[in-house]
Amino acid sequence: MIKTRRKIGVHLLWKSRFWVLFLVCALLFGIRWTKGAAYLDFYSILLKPILPGTAQKEWIKEGENIEKNIRLKLLEQDNTRLRKALSLKEFNSDQRISAAVISRSSRNWWKQLEINKGYKDGVLKGQTVIGPGGLIGLIDSTTPLTSRVRLLTDPGHQIGAWIDRTKHHGILTGMGTNRPKLIFLNKNTIAKVGDAVTTSPASTLLPPNLTIGIVQFVEEKALPSPYAIVQLTASPEAIDWVQILKDNAKK
Amino acid sequence: MPKNNNNLLIFFTIICLQACIITSPDWLKINGITPCWPVILLLPFSLKNSPWKAMMASILLGIFIDSFTISDVSYIPSLFLLSLVWSTYGLHNKKIELFLNIGLMAIFGTAFVGFSIWVQKIIIYSVLRNNWFHSWSIYVLISEVIITGLVAPFVCSWLIFAYKRN
Repeated sequence: MIKTRRKIGVHLLWKSRFWVLFLVCALLFGIRWTKGAAYLDFYSILLKPILPGTAQKEWIKEGENIEKNIRLKLLEQDNTRLRKALSLKEFNSDQRISAAVISRSSRNWWKQLEINKGYKDGVLKGQTVIGPGGLIGLIDSTTPLTSRVRLLTDPGHQIGAWIDRTKHHGILTGMGTNRPKLIFLNKNTIAKVGDAVTTSPASTLLPPNLTIGIVQFVEEKALPSPYAIVQLTASPEAIDWVQILKDNAKK
Repeated sequence: MPKNNNNLLIFFTIICLQACIITSPDWLKINGITPCWPVILLLPFSLKNSPWKAMMASILLGIFIDSFTISDVSYIPSLFLLSLVWSTYGLHNKKIELFLNIGLMAIFGTAFVGFSIWVQKIIIYSVLRNNWFHSWSIYVLISEVIITGLVAPFVCSWLIFAYKRN
């Protein structure tokens, strides 16, 4: 009996492992075409639980801060040297007195703080008081062990300030609210919302370039001169420790 | 209650009130504003004593309170007038120690003191004559009136009892 020849068909290809080779080739081609996307995604999913999360971010930020601090020191040194050359008032960061707030009246008729350092510690009337965020006020009076700080927000309290971007001067006047008013000295002052307000670098009464706040609102048509409402960057209501700058005292 | 104890109580109450003025504790504030302590101190004293004594007390109290503030405006004028009114009104066998009467008198007194500070500030600082300052002053005035109206009945009525027993 003659055996009939088996039909030639796809099953022969299947049996001859041709498809295995085909699949491997297709897979390799896919990997090459997607540049290993699937592998990388899978790898990232595997690594996710053991990846350094916020700690890594903090290390990077710390590194950035160190770099910025070094740059700041260099710039300050440069600034001091240039200010000496121009005979302008210096901002000496070494001459600071740290003090704790012992009594706070930041929303009453009088906006003031009592701090635990007095003239025995070298605090004098007129010295500048700064907190985290910038300038908060000036020393109004001192006792042997305590001092009273008149805040920038106190009604009628006036200091000279300027807008860093436009280089225009104004008088920062406390209005009782948390947002003092910056009254410009000339009519052509153009300030924008978001401009930084600092002490004037040419000031002889206050240390230069201390941050005061950010412009929140501008009234250009006001008479006799335009004004801006300034949001203070340092909040006296939340500050427990302040620093007194010794270099602008009224002796 | 023995007489000596009353003296002691009055003494400690005055010490406590002065401590409150200096430390301005956060738990006794409404919107960050403390009660008007001079009114709370002066009201019972003026009601019980003669106008002459009350006026003297108001001046001394004004000098004391002014020493704790930035010295541009003063409490003295308003306290002086209040002491005159309250001492003239007096107790005269009225049941003034009733809670609400004391509270109401303290509320009116605080409003008057606040209004006097407001006016003085406007007179001294011309730059404050605008809407921003007025809105803030109304806010302080209302908050101060509310918190003083809440605290005064407790402290003042107790002080009046102590003065009476003395």
